Amino acid sequence: MGVTILLSYPVPENKTGPQTVDLLIKRIGALGAVQSGQFLVDCETFSSGPTMGGPPRTVHVLHNSEQPAAVFALLESPGPPPKTVPLVADGLFDLLMLKMSSIYASKKQTRMEARGTRFEIADFLVKIGTVTMSSNFKGVLVEVEYRPCFIAGNCWELMREFMQSFLGSVVQNTPPPYFQVHNRLNDVYQPLDTIQQYLDHFASYRKVAGL
Amino acid sequence: MSANSTSIAMEAPVEMQIQEIAFDGQETYAPSLSMSENLTKLAQKIDFAKCGPEEVNKEITEINRNEDEAEQSTAPPIWPWDSVRNKLRNALTEVSVLADLLTIAKGKKYVVLDPVPHDPPELKPMVMVYARKKSFAGAASVLLSGAERLKNSLAEAQKNRTTTADFHIELLRLRQNFRLKKVNNTIIGDLSYFRSSGSKHIHSGTFEVTKSEEEPDKLLSPPCSPNPNSANKLTSALRVTVPGELQGIASIKVYFQKDQDSLYSSNLNTPDTAFSIPEIDWQRKLEVAQNVLFCKEMFNQLAKEAVQLQSPIPHVVVGNQIIASIFPGVQLVICLSHMEMSTDGKASLPPPIPRHDQVLEHTLHQLLRELHEKKNYPLPHPASAPLGPSRKRSCAGPYAMDREEFVEMTESQTMLEQVIQQAQHTQLRDRTLCILDKLATQYKDPLISVHWLWLNSPTYACIKVTIFAQGYDEIYRNLVIIHVYDTYLKCISRDGKVVHLSYESMELKNYILCQICRHQIMAVQYLAKSMGWQCVANSFNLGSGTLIETFGNASSCILVSPVGDRLISIHCDQNSRVQVSVAQTPRKDFFPGQLVKERKWENLGNSFKEVQWEKMIGKNFLSKMELLMTSLTSSWMQ
Repeated sequence: MGVTILLSYPVPENKTGPQTVDLLIKRIGALGAVQSGQFLVDCETFSSGPTMGGPPRTVHVLHNSEQPAAVFALLESPGPPPKTVPLVADGLFDLLMLKMSSIYASKKQTRMEARGTRFEIADFLVKIGTVTMSSNFKGVLVEVEYRPCFIAGNCWELMREFMQSFLGSVVQNTPPPYFQVHNRLNDVYQPLDTIQQYLDHFASYRKVAGL
Repeated sequence: MSANSTSIAMEAPVEMQIQEIAFDGQETYAPSLSMSENLTKLAQKIDFAKCGPEEVNKEITEINRNEDEAEQSTAPPIWPWDSVRNKLRNALTEVSVLADLLTIAKGKKYVVLDPVPHDPPELKPMVMVYARKKSFAGAASVLLSGAERLKNSLAEAQKNRTTTADFHIELLRLRQNFRLKKVNNTIIGDLSYFRSSGSKHIHSGTFEVTKSEEEPDKLLSPPCSPNPNSANKLTSALRVTVPGELQGIASIKVYFQKDQDSLYSSNLNTPDTAFSIPEIDWQRKLEVAQNVLFCKEMFNQLAKEAVQLQSPIPHVVVGNQIIASIFPGVQLVICLSHMEMSTDGKASLPPPIPRHDQVLEHTLHQLLRELHEKKNYPLPHPASAPLGPSRKRSCAGPYAMDREEFVEMTESQTMLEQVIQQAQHTQLRDRTLCILDKLATQYKDPLISVHWLWLNSPTYACIKVTIFAQGYDEIYRNLVIIHVYDTYLKCISRDGKVVHLSYESMELKNYILCQICRHQIMAVQYLAKSMGWQCVANSFNLGSGTLIETFGNASSCILVSPVGDRLISIHCDQNSRVQVSVAQTPRKDFFPGQLVKERKWENLGNSFKEVQWEKMIGKNFLSKMELLMTSLTSSWMQ
């Protein structure tokens, strides 16, 4: 698992989502990327009912096609202090959530998905995906993974240069806000970090009212 | 009523003591004593010590006196423990006095205690004799009973050590290592291990345990201590019967075979080479039987894989042998050798195996154990998870394994493939070793030193070959790194070129010879540079020309002196023969002819004249070159 940076590519005014995606695919193809399959990251949200007592808590259950056997779950409890508890589990966790449907109710409308193609260039893995929320288009997410390294601070410069080569000025010169807290730049990178980045982006997409 | 009697009234006089009479004549009476008070008063008057009538008078005076004293002394004793307390107080006083006296007597300064001589008591000798006899008898009986007990336990221990052990104790020891169960009247044991180790080989091996009443001195029981030096003299009460197909000693023999030998050799059993297997104790007998089972399972597994695997030259399974070809011309033979016991107790030796490779046999054992371990399915957590997947697959979820890791997990090699890979590497490594050794002993001019890295694996080794000239290793050294894999070698030379060589050993010889040749010319160039000479031309791949040997390369170079008046041409061929020629500019033998008229053409330089290299003084090629260059450099001063 290498360092992964997730970027939201803003769709230009005069273009639609699929056109943007095609443009990016063309650019990355020009760099010499080889298409190698599809990818899918989806997120389902459950919130606790009144039977639990206290402020309602949310559980986000995410799947990543890159780790096919794993299910990621993040529990957000707002009660003081607000904290997020992450969990990496086997596929049986989905069945467990089904059993708990009386306590944690699933909000089917807020199911979000990022789906697209993955490309391999040398040591990089690029995924260009469309974000949809119950089949409404929300945005374009680009995920870039540098496989040999697992400490973000060591390869941020290299990744920034690579991303700027096909994404242009959308890429800032400072690391994304996810890496700037908690000294994450110097920590060993885990698959859970990718999932948390996806969750952050999904949350920001949810706030944007209808597209 | 009669007239004579008169009734008389008797009354106690109501006489109360007058306490006082007031002035007006009124009398105050003292309260009269109650019955008990009266009694007490009277009892006090009695002195129980003296009870004679002649002392009554005395008594009266005494009573008077006592009464006076009683009035003067303290209040009349109403507490019944008073006398007790007084007596205790007297005793305390006396004891304190005694304690003080003893303390002073201890000091021996003021008071000294002296014994008071007693009269000797009168002796009753017979009584004493009888008393002593009785006490002696009591002591003697105690000692005798203790001695008796010790003797008994010693006798028992002696018996246990030298004679046959108890059947049940032996059975207990057997049960610690093997599963036993009682069926009808016999005890059946289980030799199979598939339940405990995850093996799939369902072959039931059972053995029977019986008591041995007859011939107890032939059976042995396992030694009590693991010390191998202690002689095992114990005989056993247990007899273990192993089923027929598991008797004897089995092992897997692995060896290499070249094509020239016949593939199918016949085995001759010569009766005079038979020998009898010595009697071993039941523990080792069972272990040997279990080993037979293990070897059979391993051979079955290998045979199955040999039949299923697709390979360019198909593997042959014949009888108890599996023949797999590693390289064309070299085969790996795996055979199951089972030394069985014939009916008369004598065993026949299998034919002697040439150069059995124990490392590969050990590898096979390890691989089978690894296979068992992988198949040993763990209990899944949580209990509702599916039972099938292996340990690694069950952990794939929580560890968030990538797709690549999944693909890696599914790829696996069979036992036979792994063994063949290791055998190939062994053969290749041996061949490389031979070639390098031969070359090192053959070539003395540039020396070849071979260094094998100690970090290696069963399918990988790394060699560093250094080619250098003695005395001139600071000038130039040629390095070749050779990675030995299973079917090919990867050679990396000093200039970074990577060459893949196959298992043919001649290719390696060719490569090394080329490197030697290259070394010579490169070394000469570096030497020339350090001496001021310049290299004007070189060529490293001149080919071998019309010579018969096709290994190696020839290379050459041309050096020019610092002043520019001398040229040296060096040609080095694959047998390390060098041809050195020298030329001079301006030519000394210039004569203007018909075509070439002008004088200036003498500067072109004449033909090269060969140097008699064997007559040159110098230890090796480079030192001779150094001498040559030195001599040619200084000649211009003349």
